[in-house]
Amino acid sequence: MTAAISPAVPERTGPALRSNLIGRFWLVAALLAMIAIFGSLRPEMLEPGNVATILRSFAIMATMTLGLTWVMAAGKIDVSFMQVAALSNMIAAALLAAGHGWGVASAAGLGAGLIAGAVNGLLIAGLGLPPLIVTIATGGICASIAAALGKGTSIRIAEHGLLTDLLTTNIGPFPLVLFGVLLVYAIAWVFQERLTFGHYMYAIAQSEEAVIEAGISSRRLLIMLFVLTGGLSALAGLFLAASLSSGQPMIGASYFINGLTAVLLGGMMIHIGKPNIIGTAVAILFLAVLASGAALLGWADWKRQIIQGALLLIGIAVAVRANRKKGGHHAEAGL
Amino acid sequence: MMKSGLLPHGAGRVLAFLGLVAVMATLFTLAEPRFLSQANFSAMTRHMAANGLAALGLTFVVIVRRFDLSFAGVACFAAMTIGFAIAGGLPLWVAIGSGILVGVVAGAVNGIAISHFGLPDIVTTIATGSIAAGMAFLYSGGRTIFQNFFTSGIIDLNDARVLGFSVSFVFLIAIYACAWVLMHRTRYGAAFYATGENPVSAFYSGIPTRTYTALAFVACAVGAVLAVVLILAESGTADTNEGANLLMPAYAAVFLGAALMGGTSVLATLSGTFLITMLLDGFALAGMPYYYSDGIVSAILLGGVLLFDPRVRDILDDAVRFLIPKKTETRR
Repeated sequence: MTAAISPAVPERTGPALRSNLIGRFWLVAALLAMIAIFGSLRPEMLEPGNVATILRSFAIMATMTLGLTWVMAAGKIDVSFMQVAALSNMIAAALLAAGHGWGVASAAGLGAGLIAGAVNGLLIAGLGLPPLIVTIATGGICASIAAALGKGTSIRIAEHGLLTDLLTTNIGPFPLVLFGVLLVYAIAWVFQERLTFGHYMYAIAQSEEAVIEAGISSRRLLIMLFVLTGGLSALAGLFLAASLSSGQPMIGASYFINGLTAVLLGGMMIHIGKPNIIGTAVAILFLAVLASGAALLGWADWKRQIIQGALLLIGIAVAVRANRKKGGHHAEAGL
Repeated sequence: MMKSGLLPHGAGRVLAFLGLVAVMATLFTLAEPRFLSQANFSAMTRHMAANGLAALGLTFVVIVRRFDLSFAGVACFAAMTIGFAIAGGLPLWVAIGSGILVGVVAGAVNGIAISHFGLPDIVTTIATGSIAAGMAFLYSGGRTIFQNFFTSGIIDLNDARVLGFSVSFVFLIAIYACAWVLMHRTRYGAAFYATGENPVSAFYSGIPTRTYTALAFVACAVGAVLAVVLILAESGTADTNEGANLLMPAYAAVFLGAALMGGTSVLATLSGTFLITMLLDGFALAGMPYYYSDGIVSAILLGGVLLFDPRVRDILDDAVRFLIPKKTETRR
């Protein structure tokens, strides 16, 4: 682990930085354009209250997808993240309903997420099982436990806790939780860009054998990534419990497509064809603004779902083309 | 496929499977005597028909070594298409035909995007599945469609019987028989396997591997549509999430079957479907709440993958060979 966080060799960042500006920042431009269009059609979009709502859903979603971004950057996939969030959400709600405080409830929820992540990591990295099948199965088990905790329905949460304050207190249009998430993303960016941790992660996607031959424990790095995904998904589940004042066993469904869309769309900027956290963050904001604008314009939810699915398809197609031009093929590896 | 010395091939595996079924059936009957009743048997064969058709389609995709996560969404869209056509007063065969057409188109889109344009299978099918699930709302804005269902004759599909078996079960066996002949007795089946096992040498042997990959995705989508037709016949209404529950049992059936029979094949999927349907049905009969079923199927799936995994099998093989040291040089 010490080897994985030592400073990176500087010349390796060279080629990635030489990509042109349009290719790297088009998503930011698209985001600004969309804000301008929605803002002119529906001025209430830009009111502080609505901005705070958008940023709150951004913060929750960003928490959930940080680990997922890195798992996908390493060429693996995790489709259990939203069910892990639902599990931690229901565990916290059930413990709160049983009279335990937010402290115990949060710790138990987080613990469940870390365990789920460790199981995923051990089965996928340790035994080399296919990531899709393993995470479908662990996700199904988590969803089942989550539903069983509430006997198939949701659990109301009466008690307010620290997390509730974090989510509902705003400084101007900025919810407090946003600052925490931005800080985490800033630290994560350093890990991804400036430390060997990030280089090994992308190297695993290119050739896991080569990484192992180079004497790096890809297994330990991958297990770490899956545990991180499980823990952060569980944290997002706790945020959702606090923000909705209830435990919802089916909470994950709507976050599933959004999460994957965000990671893949985000992979179209900064390092084209590689999932990266800045791209993910911009893409999540893009999707959150789209959701808010669609709601204000009165679009049905299924129309947004179709648009998002189409965006995801376009994103994949662009990534594959970009990779083919460079002669690489890592977007296809493991996916 | 992967050869293992752990279990005997052919007859031995079938015997082991039948033994497992007998043990499970005995346990369920001891827990709940109704398990052996005629009513339960006919319910089981009906459930098996829907899961089995979806799993058969998925088998093709798994044989060409790809994954498809879109078929549940496609099934939802096809269900609403069929419901809309029935409500519009169209004849039943036109309605079902339009549903199958939805499956063919969706499968072709997946297949061409993945095989000809080289898009990654998992993410592409997640996207198309999501689009299809959204399009299921197109006809009624999400409301349940039930008009004309009683007069259209689709309900009869559920109630009709042939030789004491429900029509859906007979249909399932017929389709599996056709698929078995295609996959295991013709060169087309061999081409599917070759595409999955070694696409490069298959390509240079003159097999159009891209076409076979695309066809596998079409088969998968059509299988899911046929499954949802049976679900429509049973429920008598078309709902936007009518096909959503097909995903998990199909994956579990394919991978559990492969673990039982030592490789992905039509018969392996059939036995996997049978075992999973029996387990789900038995647990439901014993009074287990519905929300445990996903967990049970997932646990079975995980167990199946662990057994199927070559590394885990190697470890087990080594253990067996350590205990019974003979004929070691037959492998690798």
